[in-house]
Amino acid sequence: MEHEAAEAGHAAGSGFPPFDQIGDFGVSQIFWLVLTFGVLYFAVASVFLPRIRKAVEDRDGAIKADVAKAAALSSAADASVKQFEAQIAEARARARDTASKAKAESDARTSAETTKVEAALNARLAAAEARINETRAKAMTNVSAVAEDAAAAIAERLTGAKPAADAVKKAVAGALGA
Amino acid sequence: MNIATDPMHQFKIDRWVDFRIGDLDLSFTNSAFWMVVGVLLLIGFLAVATSKMKTVPTRMQSLAEIWYQFIAGIVKDVNHAPGKPFIPLVFTLFSFIFIANIVGMMPYWFTTTSHIAVTGFMAIFTIGLVVIVGIMKKGFGFLKIFVPSGVPFVLLLIVTPIEIISFLSRPISLGMRLFANMLGGHVALKVFAGFIPSLAVALGGVGMLMGGLLVMPLIVGVTALEFLVTFLQAYVFAMLTCVYLNDALGEAH
Repeated sequence: MEHEAAEAGHAAGSGFPPFDQIGDFGVSQIFWLVLTFGVLYFAVASVFLPRIRKAVEDRDGAIKADVAKAAALSSAADASVKQFEAQIAEARARARDTASKAKAESDARTSAETTKVEAALNARLAAAEARINETRAKAMTNVSAVAEDAAAAIAERLTGAKPAADAVKKAVAGALGA
Repeated sequence: MNIATDPMHQFKIDRWVDFRIGDLDLSFTNSAFWMVVGVLLLIGFLAVATSKMKTVPTRMQSLAEIWYQFIAGIVKDVNHAPGKPFIPLVFTLFSFIFIANIVGMMPYWFTTTSHIAVTGFMAIFTIGLVVIVGIMKKGFGFLKIFVPSGVPFVLLLIVTPIEIISFLSRPISLGMRLFANMLGGHVALKVFAGFIPSLAVALGGVGMLMGGLLVMPLIVGVTALEFLVTFLQAYVFAMLTCVYLNDALGEAH
């Protein structure tokens, strides 16, 4: 260690080492700087930064994927809500349809029954009318016979002569206006 | 002057292992030892922090990621996309300077960045890299950085030499700033600390009291300031490296 002795004398009172020692140790300092800096650079550039960068990118990717998944789920939920609403609307429409169909059917049935009943009533009405007319006609013939007899009797009482049956018949028919 | 009061003794380089190649003295010194320690601390921390990378980071991993994103953020802000290949370099520069400064803050530990040989070489390396990258990317067009566009020819005669001088002074200012800050801070600490024994010797018990009550808080404050400087100087060096790299990577301005 003869250098140390030399340096001890050289650096007595220390002076200003950064400038005083640059001649003795400048090259050594730069050599060790380049060596240590180089080792650190290669460790950082080839191992550590890629690891950190990968972790950061993985996290960003995971966050992006999760957000995308959440968006997909949310839109799926929206779609199913829409589908549900459509189903409700369809059911409602179908219910309305069924109701109106039932109403139309019952209306149709009611009117059919009404017409049937009306037809029956009309038929009975017509039959009744026919019977009435028949009865009336029969009655009328009876009336004219009674009237002829009455007229003949009245005329006989008034004139004392029995009128001819034909003349009485004619006169009664004329009076009745039938 | 003895070790206790000599503010410059802490910067003295000692040869620990003699090592020569030809005429070159590559001896292993205390400076080299603390460089190795700093780099081993960095590699050790990064190795532990990045050993098991998880999507939800541990505290150490989170620290490493913040550290990386801090540097990547500077490079991205200053150099944009073309700066991406230089992120490892700027990261290494920042980390190396920062750990060297922090190591230097420990009592009895040597501050490698307090020597102009180290900081000056880093600065020359940085500027040299700028020149090489600039010429590789732009060829002779790189020289346009000395000729600002839109300046009349007559003014160029004045402006161009100024630009050249300013470019040449960059490695000097870059290396000198770091070296002077670290050296000055450590000298200030040592000188202030030296006040206490000096006062005690000169004034006895009163001096001790004064030293304890007046000087000690000052030393605590300056120490805190020095810790700030350790970070700030590393940041400034990394930032300026990016700014200078922009001359080589960005458009002419």
